[in-house]
Amino acid sequence: MSQFLREYLTVFWFAVLALLLAGLLLGISALVRPNKPTAQKLLAYESGVDPIGDGWSQSQVRYYFFALLFVIFDVEAVFIFPWATQLERYGTFGLVEMGIFVFVLLLGLVYAWRKGALRWV
Amino acid sequence: MISALVASDFATPHVDYHALAPEIVLGVGICLLIVLDLFLAESRKWLVSTVAGLILLGAVLPVVTLGVIGSDVRSMFDGRYVIDNFSLVLKALFLLSGYVVVLMSSRDTEERTPYQGEYYTLLLTSIMGMVMMASARDLVSVFVALEFLSIPAYMLAAWRKRDSKSNEAGMKYFLLGVFASAVMLYGMSLLYGVTGSTRLVDIGQAVTGTDHLVGVQVLGIVFVIVGFAFKVSAVPFHTWAPDVYQGAPTPITAFLSVASKAAGFVALSLLVFLAFPAAKSVYEPFLWVLAAVTITVGNLLALKQKNIVRMLAYSSVSQGGFILMPLAVAGTGDARTSLRAVVVYLIIYAATNLGAFAVVMAVSRKTHSGEIASYGGLFNYAPGLAAVMTLFLASLAGIPPFGGWYAKFGAFKAVLEARTGAAYTLAVIAAVNTVVSAAYYITLMREMWMKPAPDGDESPVRVPRNLVAALVITGVATLAFGVLPGFSGYGAITGLAGAFGR
Amino acid sequence: MWVNNFLILGAILFCIGVYGVIARKNAVMVLMAIELILNSVNLNLLAFSQMHHNADGNVFALYIIAVAAAEVGVGLSMVLLIYRNRRSIALDELSEMKG
Repeated sequence: MSQFLREYLTVFWFAVLALLLAGLLLGISALVRPNKPTAQKLLAYESGVDPIGDGWSQSQVRYYFFALLFVIFDVEAVFIFPWATQLERYGTFGLVEMGIFVFVLLLGLVYAWRKGALRWV
Repeated sequence: MISALVASDFATPHVDYHALAPEIVLGVGICLLIVLDLFLAESRKWLVSTVAGLILLGAVLPVVTLGVIGSDVRSMFDGRYVIDNFSLVLKALFLLSGYVVVLMSSRDTEERTPYQGEYYTLLLTSIMGMVMMASARDLVSVFVALEFLSIPAYMLAAWRKRDSKSNEAGMKYFLLGVFASAVMLYGMSLLYGVTGSTRLVDIGQAVTGTDHLVGVQVLGIVFVIVGFAFKVSAVPFHTWAPDVYQGAPTPITAFLSVASKAAGFVALSLLVFLAFPAAKSVYEPFLWVLAAVTITVGNLLALKQKNIVRMLAYSSVSQGGFILMPLAVAGTGDARTSLRAVVVYLIIYAATNLGAFAVVMAVSRKTHSGEIASYGGLFNYAPGLAAVMTLFLASLAGIPPFGGWYAKFGAFKAVLEARTGAAYTLAVIAAVNTVVSAAYYITLMREMWMKPAPDGDESPVRVPRNLVAALVITGVATLAFGVLPGFSGYGAITGLAGAFGR
Repeated sequence: MWVNNFLILGAILFCIGVYGVIARKNAVMVLMAIELILNSVNLNLLAFSQMHHNADGNVFALYIIAVAAAEVGVGLSMVLLIYRNRRSIALDELSEMKG
């Protein structure tokens, strides 16, 4: 076994221990507690009202805009990370290049802001 | 891990700002357009189209100065971005056809859409991708340029938000385009794996077709060509073209059928002449079949169309086959002649097809119809439009002395110089198809010149100033390229650095 | 050769992706299938990059990740547009124009 894998052995034992502990606690409570199911108790509970419609409800479209903005800006960070690891070596040239890149990104953000995409209406 | 892979010394790359000036002008211009659109009152939005046109013309200036100053090759970023004569000619082509599209759009968009700022921003972004494509000499930059020009085009195709045809056009274009580029990327990853480099010239040296990895090489080459065959709408990857052309706004249709297609051919030429010159046994038969099928199927489907935009769409599919023809013999024939034929065809086809779509726009302002039958009597009430349309149709059909004739002549010359049985067969197929294609062009001409107006309405067509300018530019170009075949030193445009064993 | 394992996984992902694009009728599912293909490409590139000991493949993969995000953004907004107009995103119903 390589040194690399051996370091992960700790993680493995930790996971085994966690599973055992959780299984033990849930198992004991399942054995000890009384169990008398009725039709009323098996009904899905939704704030005291009978559930309406099916479980596949659509989410609001406005979540989508935020999700999209997040994805775009999140992924652009992919170009910033490699630059950040070698910050000193790339010097002024790298700084100017990254400045231009971030400026273009900011322009996109300003556009989204001016068009009201950031407002929760 | 990555840091270990990067060469330990970082040298600030040499940036030739003069050579990059067209891209810089476009980039700054696009940022300017976004800001302008955000802070401009609704009543002054017409400024946006004027500024967009000026930006494009401003980007042509450095291209001209670069061409005048010298023919030396300017290579940047380790030879991954090269400005040579080939790229300068194509940059000028993309920028000028973009300008004509702006001229064609400015009336159309004022009347139809409130999103003018976004429209021109996306249009310019797409043109910037094309300008980058002309200089890209690396798989990564080819890919980035391709997506740069495609993604805005998907949105432009779906521009009429409430029109379900436009939605359908955008969705079809998007899904097929993204799928094709994904397949192309898989091919590129295989090519990188076989050669260990993403630079096209390095790939050209490593892909010899006789290696032990030949199976993977073939797969890579075929996948990459398939990706671009979609972009140039070669049969059987053409199914999106007629629907998208019909559903998209007409200026965008003109843009897609000319500039976007030209960019696809530029990428194909780069690959064929720089990356696969030694693998002609792989790409030549494949491109041969594509060319023959594209010309034939495009023509046969164009014959039965009733809608003029769909007819022009299928005609442009078939014209694409003619441009593929010289590429299919690039290895066995003379490579220079082939490249020259491709570039000359692209230039002349751009002028002619843009003009044809400008006429379609002008006529539809009066008739509000896309049917070929609605062109009846055009000569009686708009003789000027009928005359220029005849010029463009004759050029598309390849009738001398208009530009299209010279373009087709070059393509046939390149094929015949290969002197193989396959090349002669291809030439015969193309010749037969040239005759067939004349049929549907002449049908439209007869409609314009001889038939009466379908509803008897013979009031003249009011053509806006911008559209007149577009018609004059494209018409003069179409005429000039045909009448002056030796014009502008066609020899220079084969200056593709690194090709032809230099 | 250890690269083979990655290549086989990449090829399997690619095939699943192509199958998804061809067989699925739901536009979002097709988008997800295309993402699968792009990820198989990334896997290939990274494996080859290790094999050749140069960074070209890593750089290429970074660009693909960024471009894929942009593509999905455009694609989903187009799906949204079509859903608003038609109340459906089934692709086989998108056939107004023919011929």
